[in-house]
Amino acid sequence: MGWAAAATGVVALAAIWAAVAEDRALVFALVLGAGFGLVLQRSRFCFLCLLRDAVTGGDPRGLLGLLAALAVGTLGYAVVFGAWLPVPLRPGLPPDAHIGPVSWVLVLAGIAFGLGMTLSGSCVSGHLYRLGEGSLRAPVALLGTGIGFVAGLASWPGLYEAGIRDAPVVWLPHHLGYAGSILLTLAVLALLALPLLRRLPAAEAGRTGGLDLGDVLHRVFRARWPAWLGGLAVGAIGTVAYLRTEPLGVTAAIGGWSRQAGAGLGLVPDRLPGLDAFAGCGTAPDAIIGNATFVGAMVAASFVAAGIARQVSFDWPGWRKQGRTLAGGVLLGWGSMTGLGCTVGTLLSGGMAAALSGWVFGLACMATAAVTLRWGWDR
Amino acid sequence: MTDQPFSLSRRGIASLALGGAAVALQARSASAQQAAAPASQALVSTEWLAANLRDPKVRIIEVSVNPGLFERGHIPGATNVSWHRDLVETVRRDIASRDQIQNLLRRAGVTEDSTVVLYGDNNNWFAAWGAWVFDIYGVRDVRLLDGGRRKWEAEGRAVSTRPVQPTASNLTLAAAPNLALRARLTDVVPIAQNQAAEVKLLDIRSPDEYSGRIFAPQGFQELAIRAGHIPGAVNVPWGQAVRPDGTFKSVDELRALYAAVGIDGSKPIVVYCRIGERSSHSWFALKRLLGYQNVRQYDGSWTEYGNAVGVPISNPAGTVWGAT
Repeated sequence: MGWAAAATGVVALAAIWAAVAEDRALVFALVLGAGFGLVLQRSRFCFLCLLRDAVTGGDPRGLLGLLAALAVGTLGYAVVFGAWLPVPLRPGLPPDAHIGPVSWVLVLAGIAFGLGMTLSGSCVSGHLYRLGEGSLRAPVALLGTGIGFVAGLASWPGLYEAGIRDAPVVWLPHHLGYAGSILLTLAVLALLALPLLRRLPAAEAGRTGGLDLGDVLHRVFRARWPAWLGGLAVGAIGTVAYLRTEPLGVTAAIGGWSRQAGAGLGLVPDRLPGLDAFAGCGTAPDAIIGNATFVGAMVAASFVAAGIARQVSFDWPGWRKQGRTLAGGVLLGWGSMTGLGCTVGTLLSGGMAAALSGWVFGLACMATAAVTLRWGWDR
Repeated sequence: MTDQPFSLSRRGIASLALGGAAVALQARSASAQQAAAPASQALVSTEWLAANLRDPKVRIIEVSVNPGLFERGHIPGATNVSWHRDLVETVRRDIASRDQIQNLLRRAGVTEDSTVVLYGDNNNWFAAWGAWVFDIYGVRDVRLLDGGRRKWEAEGRAVSTRPVQPTASNLTLAAAPNLALRARLTDVVPIAQNQAAEVKLLDIRSPDEYSGRIFAPQGFQELAIRAGHIPGAVNVPWGQAVRPDGTFKSVDELRALYAAVGIDGSKPIVVYCRIGERSSHSWFALKRLLGYQNVRQYDGSWTEYGNAVGVPISNPAGTVWGAT
């Protein structure tokens, strides 16, 4: 089964490549997406799993990996920002960066997304890479995400009037400069890391002797990559993505399609006030092709990675659980639409970009997921 | 040729980002022609600009519609100018003030003897707007990069993401703007009412906008609540003035193009579009390339005229605003 999955992934990657080969930007999105899918699958970089390991498993290494991703991305983004906007104190935001409005709607979006993660068993990017592992929950959750997106778009005009129109769009370098913004971000990351570092599990017994080729191949293709490695890679991919294409995000295409479908069904209004003036996932309808290529390659690469690692299995979770998965998916979709991105597009790409919105969404989302995990709502 | 204004995008970005290497070679061979003078006083070619990038008298300014293009790669040494912040008044609808433009040019290091080369995306539409505004304020030597950003990208020429900080100049612009380059509603209404029949009106929007079939191009909110055109205007869509690669047609071709609708420079001309962006491009062709003496741009254009109360309108398609 593993080899069948890997072969499917390779064929899918080749098919996407054949479809986009004429367009250098899309080929780049393909390469980046494949790399991102590989990293997520190999290091099991699913935001709920990282959190669950810490909350119920007593292992904080996954969360430290997430903090590492934010630290690397913060430095990488700052390098790009410094070239693009040498003087950050002037008005104007860096192009395309996911810096969104901060309001109670964003908090609500984070809470919905966090609850959605617990109920559906993963975040959106997690469900996407789990397609490659044969997860039968992932397609249900992603269907729910599409439905949730339509619901989010339908509720957008009301939420915009009630809370978003006058909400501040806070970019830390506007107030602190680049140095101040970097120092503050790294300090906050260090503060968050400190209690986690105290709870690290005992080190494994040291290995004597060198690694042979078999060991190396096993570590790369079979064993789970350490979370810190996944984090560093995610931070690096996030920076490169921003430099060359657009900030990392996995819901722009889902959002674009939901918008078209919702408008076609008469559920989504033709004009969504203010939405396209923000940078974020699902706000620019013209981003669909690039994001679809990125996400398609990411899923295909996860087939390859999971196949080679023999981590493919089809387990039917039961109708009751699938009902919860669907409901969780709807919450993921609603939260990522109204939050202008998910844990990747808003938490990671926003956090790396020194956007207050990334932090607010991230804290609301992770706190909600942590509490509901402790309550056992994931079971 | 379409009227699709926000067409460029990621493909352009990538070709900019990837195109660097071949390019060093081209630039080197081009630099051999350093001494060559530009072919016209209004346009420079991509070859000429590549060979003159290091000339301190050449100041390059990018005016693109799409945000983020400049940052991801621009012609080395160029200064970024935002059309919606730097070239217009941000509160009342008007072109930027003399002080605003003077400060902008000082920051970009433009001096009295500089050659200012403007370029941008979307066939130089807003770069041409910039050229029109600079001409109004009497900037001495303003030119467009023929073919704009798209041609520079298509040729795989060098781009940079490094910010430059030109030495600020102390340029002083003429005290009075040259308002002979600009038409206002009060100039246009008498023409429409046949009281100034000697003036030729040129509408450079798409045929569907001109005929009143649509209120605005696809993807735009209508912004004008009447469809059609100013009575007496003739229609030559802006795209007819360029070749497929975005460069302007030859002077002879342009002369014939406009002569075919009765515009030959013997009478004053007023050119307009929807917001004055595309018509800057045709204004540039008429005024700067053909050298016609009296060419004014009506920058209020259809979004002002089509909303004005009580002015005559020609709406051949008969489209009714609000009717479904």
